[in-house]
Amino acid sequence: MLATIFAAAEGFVRPDIDWHALAPELVVLATFVVVLLVDVFTEEHSRWTASSFAGIGLLGAIVPLLTLAVRDGDPASLFGGGFVVDDFSLVLKALFLVAGYVTVLVSSNQIAEGDYHEGEYYLLLLASIFGMMTISSARDLITIFVAFEMLSIPTYMLAAWRKRAQTGIEAGMKYYLIGVFATGVMLYGMSLIYGGTGSTLLSEIGAHIGGDFGQEPVAVVGILFTLVGFLFKVSAVPFHNWAPDTYEGAPTPVTAFLSVASKSAGFVAILQLVFLGFFGRADVVRPFMFVLAVATMTVGNMIALRQTNIVRMFAYSSVAQAGFILVPLSVIGAGSADTADQILSSMVMYLLVYTVVNLGAFAVIISVSRRTGSGEIASWGGLFTYAPALAVSMAVFLFALGGIPPAVGWFAKFQLFTAVVKADTTLGYAAGVAMAVNSVISLGYYLGVMRTMFMDDVPDGDTTPVRVPPALVAAVGITVVATLVVGFLPGLVGDLADHATFALSLGE
Amino acid sequence: MGFTILAEVARNADADVLVAQNVAFGIIAAIMIFSAIRVVTTSNVVHAAAFLVMVLAGAAAQFILLGAEFVAVTQVMVYIGAIVVLFLFGIMLTRAPMQGTEKFTRDNWKVGALTSVVMLAVLVFTLVDGFGEDKLPADLMPTDTRVLSDAIFSTYLVPFEVISVLLLSALIGAIVIARKD
Repeated sequence: MLATIFAAAEGFVRPDIDWHALAPELVVLATFVVVLLVDVFTEEHSRWTASSFAGIGLLGAIVPLLTLAVRDGDPASLFGGGFVVDDFSLVLKALFLVAGYVTVLVSSNQIAEGDYHEGEYYLLLLASIFGMMTISSARDLITIFVAFEMLSIPTYMLAAWRKRAQTGIEAGMKYYLIGVFATGVMLYGMSLIYGGTGSTLLSEIGAHIGGDFGQEPVAVVGILFTLVGFLFKVSAVPFHNWAPDTYEGAPTPVTAFLSVASKSAGFVAILQLVFLGFFGRADVVRPFMFVLAVATMTVGNMIALRQTNIVRMFAYSSVAQAGFILVPLSVIGAGSADTADQILSSMVMYLLVYTVVNLGAFAVIISVSRRTGSGEIASWGGLFTYAPALAVSMAVFLFALGGIPPAVGWFAKFQLFTAVVKADTTLGYAAGVAMAVNSVISLGYYLGVMRTMFMDDVPDGDTTPVRVPPALVAAVGITVVATLVVGFLPGLVGDLADHATFALSLGE
Repeated sequence: MGFTILAEVARNADADVLVAQNVAFGIIAAIMIFSAIRVVTTSNVVHAAAFLVMVLAGAAAQFILLGAEFVAVTQVMVYIGAIVVLFLFGIMLTRAPMQGTEKFTRDNWKVGALTSVVMLAVLVFTLVDGFGEDKLPADLMPTDTRVLSDAIFSTYLVPFEVISVLLLSALIGAIVIARKD
């Protein structure tokens, strides 16, 4: 039937679809449909099955990722080069799936007990992860834009999930309004780029930006506007105003998801655009990113030092961490071609590490707040005396975030630092110094929480042990083990990140 | 019908037609700018929606001048036909105050004005510098809708499918956020 219609259509060339390359996305999409049907056809009391299906689906999607990783031959390039499945996209898809799975683990009790709409919650979570996976493969402005909306719009609604509380609505509204504003600016930038290059494919845009068009002012405005939309997503200063209120008002599992997965997705888009599309004008990107990175690190750290609420502190800490990840972009294209590769792999490495560690920290925060019922750091006093395992786990994550060996963070930070200094430019050294100073400042608040947990007295003298549900135990366990193993054997993630460079040769 | 006439006109394009196009562009653009300013200055919500219709219709008219018939029709159907009408129904059904009785804060107008002026200057400069010399091709032809649909179902298949998932999840999420329980 369809074949005859296709035959009748003149000039239509049926696209050659590599189903294997699309399989990870299709598995997540199938899970989305299954969760939707489960939600429709089950009774209220068995809605918890939605979380099980979501978790299994996310783990199941890792299987085609592995078969794709061992597949021989060139990276699959579908739909005229708009959708590419290379090692870079595979590594990041794995990151999003793992982050999604841990988010499901930390959500299951919180969402069930809070009487939130469970089925729809996991549905939107899966939809957002689907968008993140698509954006890792997107090599075309339209695909990037649509995938970006796919991952953003569900998170706007998840941020407002505590809709009975004023702060919940505020969280969603702020995130949404600033988000659509940034999207508008980004689309305008994309339209300028398209107007000048006549193509939406990043590879062709890269050729034009490296050529005559790149020298015109309109190209510069287009590049900066396009990047602004994604800089909002990673909460870079001055586009960070939404982060603290949204992080505090959203359900804590959603905050964990926003602070790692959604942020990583923004970075993925920035990396693709900068390395594949805008590399020809790296001289414009460098000072822009330098200013943003230094401002983001400094402002994030300074405000984090003053916070008394642990979730707000982590919100500002994640702003500062975004600054660290942006630092290497202030030297891109300044050195030889292999520095570009090194910059890319150091950023991917940091994203992988930061995702695991921050998710772990949020898993502990959720476990502890189940007992204390408050987000104040003071309520964490003496945690070690009654919940030693949680306190030690948190200590591991705080060490990792602060960059103290043997937790994994130091190696990732060291990689960023090497990439920046190796470029041998004034801007690079300045960025390196700013990064070192900010690492020390960040220890101030990370170690402050440590002191409260280990030194202070229990605020109300109540030392009954914390009862942590199995899903949260699993989430904390997975992330602690990953943090420690990779901390002692950093080569594991290092190799992964080294492979995660684009198939194209860069920086010619 | 109108489109075929336009196509015929465009095929025989000579200097006069291009001048006529430019004049039409100028008139429509002036109406759009006036309406856009009224959208934000009028204190009556229904009037603002009506002026928004003018802006969107103007955009559709500009697309027709450029020979993009499908985009123009979509603009009318989606923005005017669906969104603004929905907006007006929303105002009527929720009995929102028609007249702006509440005071709007204008504390930040100085910063806002400065930002707008700077942005306007930057954009005017870069756009004139970048595209000021470009001319419409003399053989401007309306884009065939079939070409668009072929592109959607081959080159842009992934974004097309992703958008359908996006609409579904937006729908579900909006219902959860909006419903009473």
